[in-house]
Amino acid sequence: MSAIAVEPSRRGIVGALPRAAARALLLPLGLAALWGLWEGYRWLGIRGHWTWPFKVNDTNMPHLSKIWHAFGQPLQPDGPPLRHYLWHYALFTGKEALAGFALGAVIGFLLAVVLAHSTLLRRGLLPYIVVSQTVPILAIAPMVVLGLGTKGVNPWVAVAVIAAYLTFFPVAINTLRGLHSPEPRALELMRSYAAGRWKILWRLRVPASLPYVFSALKISATASVIGAIIGETPASLQGGLGYAIVNFNQYYSTQPANLWATIIACALLGITFFLAVVLLERLVLKRAPEHVA
Amino acid sequence: MSTIVQPVPRSVGRQIGRTALDWIPAVAVFAIGIGAWQGIVVAFHIQEFLLPKPTAIGHAFWTQKSVLWSQGIYTFKEALGGYALGSGLGILVALLFAAWRPLAGAFMPYAVAANAIPIIAFAPIMNNWFGLLNPFSKMAIAGVLCFFPVMINTLRGLTSVHPSSIELMQSYAAGRLSVFRRVRIPNALPHIFTGLKVATVLSMIGAIVGEYFGGPIEALGVKILNDSSYGNFTDAWAGIVMASLLGIVFYAVVALAERLTTSWHPSARAFHTE
Repeated sequence: MSAIAVEPSRRGIVGALPRAAARALLLPLGLAALWGLWEGYRWLGIRGHWTWPFKVNDTNMPHLSKIWHAFGQPLQPDGPPLRHYLWHYALFTGKEALAGFALGAVIGFLLAVVLAHSTLLRRGLLPYIVVSQTVPILAIAPMVVLGLGTKGVNPWVAVAVIAAYLTFFPVAINTLRGLHSPEPRALELMRSYAAGRWKILWRLRVPASLPYVFSALKISATASVIGAIIGETPASLQGGLGYAIVNFNQYYSTQPANLWATIIACALLGITFFLAVVLLERLVLKRAPEHVA
Repeated sequence: MSTIVQPVPRSVGRQIGRTALDWIPAVAVFAIGIGAWQGIVVAFHIQEFLLPKPTAIGHAFWTQKSVLWSQGIYTFKEALGGYALGSGLGILVALLFAAWRPLAGAFMPYAVAANAIPIIAFAPIMNNWFGLLNPFSKMAIAGVLCFFPVMINTLRGLTSVHPSSIELMQSYAAGRLSVFRRVRIPNALPHIFTGLKVATVLSMIGAIVGEYFGGPIEALGVKILNDSSYGNFTDAWAGIVMASLLGIVFYAVVALAERLTTSWHPSARAFHTE
């Protein structure tokens, strides 16, 4: 059910080796193609004075090499290079996202365990959990950050709360599905051994739910990073990637490469979170018979 | 970008219930929730800037309803434009990929990687490209956000056809085009709608967050941000209520379209009979 996470089909090691090699080859090829597209479009656009859909010039589409160089350029004369700042910004935002991710995942999991055992609570709460998804949740970000901030709560905690809010939904829904996924026969077997609710929960339901939980965690990993970045922007919370985006956005007309470099840092942070969950999944679910996407 | 959201599976819909009786607990929770909110705010003297009373939000919403409505519609138009653009392109690209698989093999790893990056971070770039006050800048970010879930879900639907259906069609000497028309596309409809439902929320988020990075005063996102930075939290919450209502209506309309167009599908039938 993961909206978009695409699972690779699992084959033996023999099948995996050439595929890994092909993938390793595909990456530089794809990056080269992206580079060619960017520079090609830029070249054509500047020559042809394209103004639709947007004006192609050095500001709107800086040379990729310029963006690359921006990482090494100092922000102030004699200061450390941009990549030094971005590294610390990414650590700060990563800390918020990680705290929010952990909080949201635990709340989502516990909520699912409670809901799995009570039809009444399910009927009462599930509609709102679902409706909360049709609400543009990020719209609440300024409220939470500024509201908690005036109350003396450390701003990064407020940002983590937003990241947690974005994390909890996929985890709760998917865990609930996973807890209900064991076959009736397996439940009957457990009951025939006189296993109680807790035993069934820990021995049968939770292990069965793990693949579902991980497919939710993969979605939540990026969602928590998004929550942290967007949560920082309204509060102008200094020291994070969201702040860097707002800051460099103001100087876009003179130094566009800085904003692009920051966005690349955001992308790398998101991919790092995603890959960390994938790695964790491989370790935990090593012996799972199959993956449920 | 693995979006902030994912589709609600049918099994969950089943658990929520369908008859009026099943909805009683939900209505009770709503009443208790609003009552508790009001009670806690009054009892503990929680300041307005932290959490306004529901009655105060309701009052602010009512007195500003015409302004909120015009701001909401402005933002909704941006979201709708981006939605049409991103989803349309997503479906077209998926059809292309399904017709010519090697292309899909080459591009899908990038689509998955794009899934893992916070695309919303590109909102300021779109504002710079298309102009802060140009609604197209918000449509563009909403469109990019919608594109990936719709494309990936559509492709999954188009390619997850039972081989025997294809063999049957081939035994009738059906061409590629009619296999697409009669098997692949109908089979993909539930998947396409899964993507389209996710995209409704994403397009609203794209438009509103795009406005957080700058936009005209007529826009809902600008209003919410301005109100909250000037400390008018009750007004900001009223803006959020408007955004939520529009988001819910948008989602409900697409869900209704899904009901109407896929009621014949086995997965929908199972949902009704179980």
